[in-house]
Amino acid sequence: MKRAKFWLSVGALALALVWIGWHGFTRDSRVYSSGRMSGAHAVLETECAVCHVQTAGAFSAKAADSACLACHDGPMHHAAQTRTLGCAECHTEHRGRVSIVAAKNESCAQCHGDLKTSGSAARYAAHIYSFEDGHPEFAALRSFGALPASDPGTIMVNHAIHMKPIRRVPNGPNVQLECGDCHQPGAVSTDWNYADANYTAANTSYSEQDEVLALRPGALGRPIPRSGRELMAPVRFAYACAGCHSLSFDKRFDEGVPHDKPEVVHAFLVKKFGEFIAAHPGEVRVVRDPGRDLTGKPLAPEVRVLTPTQWVAERTAEGEDLLWRKTCKQCHALSTAERERGTRILQSNRRSDEPPDSGASAGRLPEIARASVTLQWMPHAKFDHDAHRGFSCVGCHEKALNSTVTSDVLLPGIATCRACHAPGPEHAESRCFECHTYHDWSKRKEVKPAFTLPALRTGGR
Amino acid sequence: MRIDKTQRGWAIASLAIFAVFTTMYVAYAVNAPSGPSGGSAPGLAFGVIGFGFMIFAALLGARKRVPTWRIGRAQAWMRGHLWLGLLSLPVILFHGGFHFGGTLTRLLMWLLIITVVSGIFGAALQHFVPRVMTTDVKLETIYDEIGNVRKLLREEADRAVEMVCGPIGLGKSASEEVLRAGGLSAARTMATTGGGAVVAAAVETVVLTKEECAPLRKFYLNEMRPFLEQPRHRGSRLGDADKAHGAFSGLRTLLPQGAQATLQDLEDICDEARQLVRQEQLHHLLHGWLLVHIPFSLALILLGAVHAVMALKY
Amino acid sequence: MSTISRLPELVEITIDGRPVQVAAGTSVFDAARMNGTPIPTLCHLQNEMPVGVCRLCVVDTGARVLTASCVRPVEPGMKVVTNSEKVLNARKTLLELLMADHPSPCARQEKSGDCELETLARAAGITQPRFAKRTVSRGIDDSSLAIAVDHDACILCDRCIRGCDEIKNNFVLGRMGKGYSAGIAFDLNAPMGDSTCISCGECMVSCPTGALTNKTLVGTSIATGPDAQGFEAEELLQLPVFKGVSGTFLELNRGAIVKRRFHPGEIICREGEFGSTAFYILEGKARVSLSAPMAHVKTQGGAKGLFKKLTSTLAARDTDIRAEETRDRTIPIDASVDLAYGNPVAELGPGDLFGEMTCMNFYPRSATVIAETDVVAFEMLRNVLDIMMKNKSFRAQIDQNYRRRALENHLRGVPMFADLSPDFIEHLKESVELQRFAPGQVIARQGDAANSFYLVRIGFVKISEIYPGGELVLAYLSRGDYFGEIGLLGGGVRTATCTALDHVEVVRISGDDFRDMMDRFPSVRQGLEVVAAERAAQNQQRMQTVRSVPIDQFLSQGLMEAQSLLILDLQNCTRCDACVNACADAHDGITRLVREGLRFEQYLVATSCRQCRDPLCMVGCPVGSIRRRNSLEVIIEDWCIGCGLCARNCPYGNINLHPFEVMVEDLERPGRKKAVVKQKATSCDLCTHLKEPSCVYACPHDAAHRVDPRTFFSEMLGGGTAK
Repeated sequence: MKRAKFWLSVGALALALVWIGWHGFTRDSRVYSSGRMSGAHAVLETECAVCHVQTAGAFSAKAADSACLACHDGPMHHAAQTRTLGCAECHTEHRGRVSIVAAKNESCAQCHGDLKTSGSAARYAAHIYSFEDGHPEFAALRSFGALPASDPGTIMVNHAIHMKPIRRVPNGPNVQLECGDCHQPGAVSTDWNYADANYTAANTSYSEQDEVLALRPGALGRPIPRSGRELMAPVRFAYACAGCHSLSFDKRFDEGVPHDKPEVVHAFLVKKFGEFIAAHPGEVRVVRDPGRDLTGKPLAPEVRVLTPTQWVAERTAEGEDLLWRKTCKQCHALSTAERERGTRILQSNRRSDEPPDSGASAGRLPEIARASVTLQWMPHAKFDHDAHRGFSCVGCHEKALNSTVTSDVLLPGIATCRACHAPGPEHAESRCFECHTYHDWSKRKEVKPAFTLPALRTGGR
Repeated sequence: MRIDKTQRGWAIASLAIFAVFTTMYVAYAVNAPSGPSGGSAPGLAFGVIGFGFMIFAALLGARKRVPTWRIGRAQAWMRGHLWLGLLSLPVILFHGGFHFGGTLTRLLMWLLIITVVSGIFGAALQHFVPRVMTTDVKLETIYDEIGNVRKLLREEADRAVEMVCGPIGLGKSASEEVLRAGGLSAARTMATTGGGAVVAAAVETVVLTKEECAPLRKFYLNEMRPFLEQPRHRGSRLGDADKAHGAFSGLRTLLPQGAQATLQDLEDICDEARQLVRQEQLHHLLHGWLLVHIPFSLALILLGAVHAVMALKY
Repeated sequence: MSTISRLPELVEITIDGRPVQVAAGTSVFDAARMNGTPIPTLCHLQNEMPVGVCRLCVVDTGARVLTASCVRPVEPGMKVVTNSEKVLNARKTLLELLMADHPSPCARQEKSGDCELETLARAAGITQPRFAKRTVSRGIDDSSLAIAVDHDACILCDRCIRGCDEIKNNFVLGRMGKGYSAGIAFDLNAPMGDSTCISCGECMVSCPTGALTNKTLVGTSIATGPDAQGFEAEELLQLPVFKGVSGTFLELNRGAIVKRRFHPGEIICREGEFGSTAFYILEGKARVSLSAPMAHVKTQGGAKGLFKKLTSTLAARDTDIRAEETRDRTIPIDASVDLAYGNPVAELGPGDLFGEMTCMNFYPRSATVIAETDVVAFEMLRNVLDIMMKNKSFRAQIDQNYRRRALENHLRGVPMFADLSPDFIEHLKESVELQRFAPGQVIARQGDAANSFYLVRIGFVKISEIYPGGELVLAYLSRGDYFGEIGLLGGGVRTATCTALDHVEVVRISGDDFRDMMDRFPSVRQGLEVVAAERAAQNQQRMQTVRSVPIDQFLSQGLMEAQSLLILDLQNCTRCDACVNACADAHDGITRLVREGLRFEQYLVATSCRQCRDPLCMVGCPVGSIRRRNSLEVIIEDWCIGCGLCARNCPYGNINLHPFEVMVEDLERPGRKKAVVKQKATSCDLCTHLKEPSCVYACPHDAAHRVDPRTFFSEMLGGGTAK
């Protein structure tokens, strides 16, 4: 038995030595690997030296950041961050076919768990450990100081009315609007049920860009190109509102004014009335409409005969009065100066001794406040509506059903997200990386590609 | 070594160490950003400690080769081996964060598990197999001498039969080796057989006629001698105590009075042969696990060292 | 038996006109013999009680009648005349009378020509007796296989009876009858062959005539080899050393003594061989030495290599230094001289006897003797040597050799005498007495008044103490050892019993002599007193430890004889042999422990020295290399010659021999070396050089323990007392 013990020991040692030696001899270092590579690096499974760069004279061949940076750029998260992390601190390789991007919450919590900030960044929550532990309510929904959270948009919308069955036109049938009738992601081409061909075809002088709120600088966006389906496009009048909200300005015309800046509308009105009076010269004789008498106001003369210019101006003023005081104002915020002006015209009901506004009355047009549509409610997160396309809109945006004012922020609160995004196998991914990025991809530098396929397969550059 | 109350000190210390390490591990594992891993500072610490325990355990083999060097009593080393070796398994598990890792580390983990488990098995055996050996094998001899003793038994049986039957045609061995004075022969005199290499001449030599001793001759040549040559070979009824007793009882009726004493001697020889088989079995049981434990532990140390170097390198 | 005794009184007498002084109690015959006047005898033998039967030794002491000198003690003022006409006449007549009845030439005279009667008659000038022969024959008795009895030749001298009774204690022979029909008879007058006679030959050897003669049988003969010459008894009798030895005895033992010639360089005997003969050098010189290497057994390889086998080799004292080993020791050997450790070579010359222990007690040869010049030596068996030693002239020579050569070393070996001045030693040398003891004889008894000091010249003496529980053997002493020093200082009582185990010869110094000498050298006294006091204290302490623990008679397995047992607990023992390996490692590659032995309950008593209270192993070591230190352990010194006697003696098989090959000078081809196999004995020594037994230290399973059996068993049995 002693011999057996001896020879078995020798045999086991020899076997181990031969095994390791063989791997050493064939320069196969995979045996030392502590796990398979992630899917993205699987091509490097046998090319240890690509990451484990052996500097001459040094013993250690740890995978240093320099190796990662040979192919990847990892822009810094924050210029002011107190501690720069190495690549491997969050992106651990050799864990098998998992996503290498999927950093653990703890990696983020290293700093955000006890965030040291200075200056204006003090409003960021300082103790975030994970989505479910320490993550504050979304900034858009949080009040800051005395200011409650509110939508900065100036277009007045009452979602609650629109969500109920609503009459499309006076004396028309009730229609039930769907969310998608107004809100669609930008890249989606769909039939707009409530679009108006006149408006969709028209070129507007304002650009959409001017009406939406720009992304805040420094926000950490997503590195991959937008598909265009992530976020909802701003609601456009031509496609969503025009079908119901007519911009009619005068009984004489069926069409409405263009949905455009007041100058354009004014020019349109002048042109339109000018064409009309040219086509109907007899209209210059304006007969008083007793239906339009207002008690307490001096009566208008029975008949007035205006010059065409006067008539156009009068009609334009009337039309603008309607528009500025009702139609446009229904949704837009107009500046108050013009409103007053509009009031004065109506009150006076055209005194004849006033010189007609040939064009000077067109000088004081209202200023329509910028729509200030918020495109991205969560600038620090990469939310993708497309990923949630299976869900009904009101499933998350319940607040829309009851929202009557624009200032309501209809962004679902964090609780809504947490209903699905929570830790555990039966929940959706709730780790930080799912919504946030570390690297500031706006500062991305391009990497010079250096690998050739043959070289990659044989371990060289 | 048995685990009895003399082990209390070591057991308590080991338990304390284990508790401390467990708390440290839990604290570290919970807080580690990317989870517990071998390469982190605590992971490395566990790895070094675990490997240190393993090396100490492996040094027991070296210690046994210099038994007289005054570097600590063999018992102290054995206790250390048992407890620190046992601790090495959880410590290495802590080191790896309960991941088995890549090829080499997976292999190492299995080697460690097999080594520790075989060691536990061996230690368990030592609690009762020695006692079984003492009670079951009254005529125990030194394991390495079993071959010699068997040879002597065969010669003794030959002579006993020849005294009664005359020459039976089996070749004699060359000069009988003088046993060590005392020692084996001292033990043998405790048995009821005729003692040592020299056949006691107390039995009066009775030579039977050919017909009278035919049953004995037949039995001896066909059954007993083959049994004595290959006692472990199954198939001989002499391998079973009851069947052998029956065989000899039968023989007793067939042979005259003068041969009874010889028959008793032969029966005792068979009994001793059976006991030697039992001793071999028990010895193999008691020491067999070492054939797994030692080679695996050597491979473990070697590959562990390779792993340590390579892991630190990478 | 010699009548000489050391009584202090001296008596003045005159013998043939010369005044002499002899001790009181000496017989006239001895007085005359001692002073150079031999008196013829027939019935007197030196080693038998004188009976005064033959009357041949008559002398004239001035009394009324002539006195038989062999039985007459001296008296102060006695005037002895041994050669007066009256005396001579008387003798002659006696001889004539005896010759008349003598069947001359008797058988002895024919064979060896030394019938004492006929020799004396011839010397006295008697050729033809005047008296008539006896007519009636008393017959012959031919029934014995070895001895022929011729009653006609018997002169009724009584020697045979005394030989059979006093010397051999067989009590077969006696007288019968009266007057003319008186004669000797065996038992109740049975034929000799039918009697209880055992044919020892003592009667025949004692018989002066041919009444009892040798029947030549096939006897032992060592006359082998081309150099051996048997020879006629007459030849031997010519030599001065054989003076007084019975010729018929030599005739009987013709083959038992041979003369050998050795060429220079020839090996006469080899150390370690067993033999049964002694050598007496007649001519030439021989060199006696130890050819066994003076070395301990040592390890090679072993601990250093991982897989190396332990091989053993021999390491001399220079390379293997052990405490308390010194170079000025003498190694006692079986010759008239001892060997010094530093240079174990000595020379033997004519008149030296060596191999006495081998011959008398069958111990192995203690040294190698090689002839330096042409050597002529007698080789003789024990019976011959026995007779020779009884022969006065031979004895005297041996004693003288011993005194001259070895005695001083032995004396100096006694610590008390180590620093004595040479003068003192010279005095001592002359005043010692050599005494012989038979096997079993008690030399000194515990409790007796102590008045002598003893030094062992040859043989083994057992020193034991009796105390309430039993007997404890303290030591076995051999050549060069001493005992009884308490007796030298007077007033002491023996603390131990000293028994001769085999044929022992001791040098005895009487206390009175010693004290006389101390008066002359007073400085010696203090030193001796100090040593004696130390010894007494040691003994006291030993007795203390022995007495305080009761012996448990319960266990009859002989374990109580042990003072230390190596016990293996079989419940813990995994039979891994670590203990054996450790023992081998600690002892130069040779294990002193075998994992076998007797068992009881769950314990195994391993085969390893038990440090017995009665160390049988020590008996017989020819070079005294196995001994016991002051504590328990038995050690074997490095000059062990590997004879294996201790291994045979140990009843438990705890001592084993280990063979080595060493290169020694090839004596047949001088200048070249050849490999021979040497052996050394090994035994467990409790690892005293390591403070703890290695087997216990190295057992990984806590199964090996060295225990004192008394405390161990008493705890087990539940009835013992604490230590």
